[in-house]
Amino acid sequence: MIPWNALFPETASFDFIAPGILLAVAVTCLAVSLYLLLPKSGRSSKTARRLGWLLGLVTLSLFILTGQRLGNLGEEATFLMVSLVAVVSAAATITCRSPVYAAIWFALCLAGVSGVLLVLGAQFLGVATIVVYAGAILVMFLFVLMLAQPTGLTTSDRITNEPMLSTVAGAVLLGLLSLSIGRLSAEEPLCCRPPSRAAALGGTAVNQTPNESIDLLASDQVARLGGELFGHHLVAVEAVGILLLVALIGAIAIVSNGLEGSQTEASSLQEGSQI
Amino acid sequence: MTFTILFGAALALLQNGLMVGAILFSLGLIGILSRRNLIVMFLSAELMLQGISVSLVAWSRYHGDFGGHVLVVFVLSVAACEAAIALVFVLQAFTRTGRLDSTAWQTLREATIDRSIDHEIPSLDTSLPNFPRLTPAGRSPPPDEQAAAQRDHV
Amino acid sequence: MSPSFLLILIPLLPLLAAIATIVCGRRLEHRAHLPAVIGLAAAAVVALALLVLTVRSRGSAETPRPIDITTTLWQWATIDNAYLPAIDSQAAVPGVAVGDDAYSARPFSISITMRLDPLTATMLTIITSIGLLVAIYSIGYMHGDPGYPRFFALVAMFVFSMSMLVAASNFLLVYVFWEAVGVCSYLLIGFWFQKPAAAKAAKKAFLVNRIGDFGLAVAVFLLWLTYGTLDFHDTFSSEGTILPGILGQTRLADIGGYVSGIVGTAICLLLLLAACGKSAQLPLHVWLPDAMEGPTPASALIHAATMVTAGVYLIARCAPLYMACPGALVMVSIVGTTTALVAALIGTVQNDLKRVLAYSTISQLGYMFACLGTGTLLGFTAAIFHLLTHAFFKALLFLGAGSVMHSMGGVIDMRRFGGLRKLMPVTAITFLIGSLALAGIAPFAGFFSKDEILTSLHSKGWPDVHHSVNDQHHATIPNMPSPHSRGNTIHNVGYREFSSYGENLKGTRTPETVGLDALNQPIVWRTLFWMALVTAGLTAFYTFRAVFMTFTGPLRVPEEAGDHAHESPSAMTTPLIVLAIPAIFIGFILFATEGLAHFLAATPSFTAPSVVSTATASVFHWDLAIQGTLAAALGVVIAAVGHLGRRSDGPQLERWLGPLRSFLEHHMFIDQFYIAIIIKPIKAISFIAALFEKHCIERFVELIAHLPLTLGGVTRRLQSGLLQRYALASVIGVLAIIVLLAWRL
Repeated sequence: MIPWNALFPETASFDFIAPGILLAVAVTCLAVSLYLLLPKSGRSSKTARRLGWLLGLVTLSLFILTGQRLGNLGEEATFLMVSLVAVVSAAATITCRSPVYAAIWFALCLAGVSGVLLVLGAQFLGVATIVVYAGAILVMFLFVLMLAQPTGLTTSDRITNEPMLSTVAGAVLLGLLSLSIGRLSAEEPLCCRPPSRAAALGGTAVNQTPNESIDLLASDQVARLGGELFGHHLVAVEAVGILLLVALIGAIAIVSNGLEGSQTEASSLQEGSQI
Repeated sequence: MTFTILFGAALALLQNGLMVGAILFSLGLIGILSRRNLIVMFLSAELMLQGISVSLVAWSRYHGDFGGHVLVVFVLSVAACEAAIALVFVLQAFTRTGRLDSTAWQTLREATIDRSIDHEIPSLDTSLPNFPRLTPAGRSPPPDEQAAAQRDHV
Repeated sequence: MSPSFLLILIPLLPLLAAIATIVCGRRLEHRAHLPAVIGLAAAAVVALALLVLTVRSRGSAETPRPIDITTTLWQWATIDNAYLPAIDSQAAVPGVAVGDDAYSARPFSISITMRLDPLTATMLTIITSIGLLVAIYSIGYMHGDPGYPRFFALVAMFVFSMSMLVAASNFLLVYVFWEAVGVCSYLLIGFWFQKPAAAKAAKKAFLVNRIGDFGLAVAVFLLWLTYGTLDFHDTFSSEGTILPGILGQTRLADIGGYVSGIVGTAICLLLLLAACGKSAQLPLHVWLPDAMEGPTPASALIHAATMVTAGVYLIARCAPLYMACPGALVMVSIVGTTTALVAALIGTVQNDLKRVLAYSTISQLGYMFACLGTGTLLGFTAAIFHLLTHAFFKALLFLGAGSVMHSMGGVIDMRRFGGLRKLMPVTAITFLIGSLALAGIAPFAGFFSKDEILTSLHSKGWPDVHHSVNDQHHATIPNMPSPHSRGNTIHNVGYREFSSYGENLKGTRTPETVGLDALNQPIVWRTLFWMALVTAGLTAFYTFRAVFMTFTGPLRVPEEAGDHAHESPSAMTTPLIVLAIPAIFIGFILFATEGLAHFLAATPSFTAPSVVSTATASVFHWDLAIQGTLAAALGVVIAAVGHLGRRSDGPQLERWLGPLRSFLEHHMFIDQFYIAIIIKPIKAISFIAALFEKHCIERFVELIAHLPLTLGGVTRRLQSGLLQRYALASVIGVLAIIVLLAWRL
């Protein structure tokens, strides 16, 4: 038997190193790796990119190893796989030089995110992500790229604005978020739960697995979601519908205005016109 | 013991989900701040929204109600509207300047500050990879200018 | 018509006239003199009436009761619990035991109180009458001047200030009006301020007066600290106890009421400094010759008759204070006599008629100080007598000089005109009368007053010759004997006895002597007497030199005269004639009847036992009279030899003086000395200060001003126009806030 338990111990065993230092190291690695990965001008990209990916790998492994273990192995493995897909393709999205490739990496990221959502039990949302994002929004982006930048790659795509500051900012943010996520404890949710569910949970904790007592994971989850939406949040749903209509009309209006105004300009499309 | 483990598992799931969401959010933030291409900027924004969605669903799973799901539905809808309008604007911007570069727009700067110009213009790696050469067989077709004009490097 | 009412009326009328002239002077145009003349005339009449009333109340008793009528207008300021007297200080109330309420803190209260006594009445009469005559004279002199209304407003304002000065019953009020007359003098000297010389002279006068005012201010502070009150008169506290004023009946009767020693001498010397500033004594006399840049009527009023006498008035008023400090008295005399001699010397070579008269004023004021410093009742009354006569004949001389200047078209250099007696007979005769009075030729006014001065000096130099009323032999030290102890001859300074006012808790004290007291030796007084005699001769000399050079000899008229060269209009000659009458008669009248001495003896300040005890029998010392007359005659003769008749057209005697002449012509280089000692260092300091201000302070301020610019320049670089940088900045800001919050948590 493969000693999975040995490979994935119950809790983090890095007690000999202070968690704060580990977090700092992880975050620094992330920052450096992203800095190396972001497109630069006039840099030897091969070694930089490889080093960047390596450091990214280090970061990810640090995060994984210091994280909490889920209950059983299957759940753990699935979650790990889909989240890795999501995270790595997200990193690739932002560091890719060609915008078309970035879009395609984004599609893969959406797939990963959809997987994460499904692992978390959001069936409808997992599918909706693929349908709406990957199916509609992403395709729109690609259309615009095709219209605007048919060459696919321009010199400006190889230059980054403020790589150092932005990676540091993102890394600091991630560090802060990790800190606060790590400080979450079990006592908190009880006070936030509605009384009925808390009582139900408290009463049936020993006998039932928590997962099945929650109607979140019931088989008719989508119907329940619909009931919640159109029950508690009807007004918001209608408003969102109106918002969609407005966006549609607005988009057409702007385009039609722009078309009338820039009939002369459209003929003078120049590469690199300055404003 | 089981109680603790089970609750620990729920918490662990929450924490892992939140971590994924946080990482996606941070990566999206970095992308917005550093990439120049307008499309990639918006892609990064969508990435941030994805991170938010994951976090919301994780909380919703932890609390056991649909609040997070509902919010994600709205986030999805709003993201769609935003993408539509944003792309319209991107096209308008492209019409004015002819490129999808965010540094093309610098008119909001102070009068005493000079325009930011790229000093190092990177070379476009336009060399084709070393395709294997086939021995020519038969006549080569006449060159198609239109195709040559359109088929460019990606 | 109560005396109080009249007393209030005298300053009030010129004040109203001044206000009326200021308000509607422009509209009245050439009639702008009317409010001032009417106001001054009314004030003069009222002053005369007041004088008559006061004389009547004096009665004819030999030892007079002091006349002391106070009237309070309103309470200006009161600060409770402002003063805590020490148990045995001068501020303690006599007759009250230790621990009583009188030793509790006393209030600081200034009440606008006016006090009538013979000295005040005399001064008021002089001020208002000469003011009226000057105003009438100015109708002719200032005719056609663009500042016509302003002149009369200033004259009326001046008369108001001066009358309040002599009538005020509080040292702080005296200070206020001291300053006020200084301001009026400044405005009148600088009347033609477009002329740079006049503006400079006005500034000089004010600044030199300021030095004296500083002395007065510090003296007021010391008086407050020492006596606990600034009032002349006695006031009553809320419990009904008397708070003795500095010159009130209570304190005057109290033998030990006045401080001597360091503090007392300091107060007296500071008052002397103030008097020197106002009365143009050495070393603060430098402003008076330059003050001749002002209009001549102003010079006649201010710098001859009234303002410059304020110093004499102050010292006379504070006679009891001075009697406790003999060293200060000697200083007063020394300052006065020295000034008289120096001014007379400088006056002998001046060619400007008004300058001669200015130095003559300084010299005569020196005479007044000299006899004030003798510390005898004769000395004080002689000073006031000389003040009175001098006011009249000096005003007469100044107005005459103004008349000459007016008809000579503004030329006042005596070398450029001559023989004017045929051209301007009235002026000539009145000027001659004034000169005779000034020179001290009998029986004109100046003779008697000068004689009294010489007598008082002589009585200090040769005390055996003069006998006091109490038939006490004066030792070398002035006495402060009590009326009870007749046989005591030697009383050390500061020795106090129990007064008859009950238990005097101050008790006996060890005598406090100050170094200056050592100057109180007969030899010093003899020197001063001889100096005064020489000055008398010099006075006569320069006076008649001026007369001969101006009015005798062949007629010479400068070109600037044009068609002005005739006798002055009646508006100008009438005051001359009016002034000539007292210049002739007043001396004789007052001396013969002993009116003034008799009258002034009722002044509270002169009824102090310390002053009364120095009274001498009024004997006419023929030997002194002959000495004085001989000196004067000698001066006249030398002047005649040098300048009479044909020789009147140029400097004659001065050639014999040699280098001394240029020394005297340049005013003994005192001005240059002051410039070198005071003005140049101050200019150097101010130059350095200006440099410092320009380079350090301005640069510092500019630095501060550049700070926002620099900060703005730095922060402006954030506005690059690149939106992603803006987003980055906001992200960094948000992260900073989160980090801060997280650290707090």
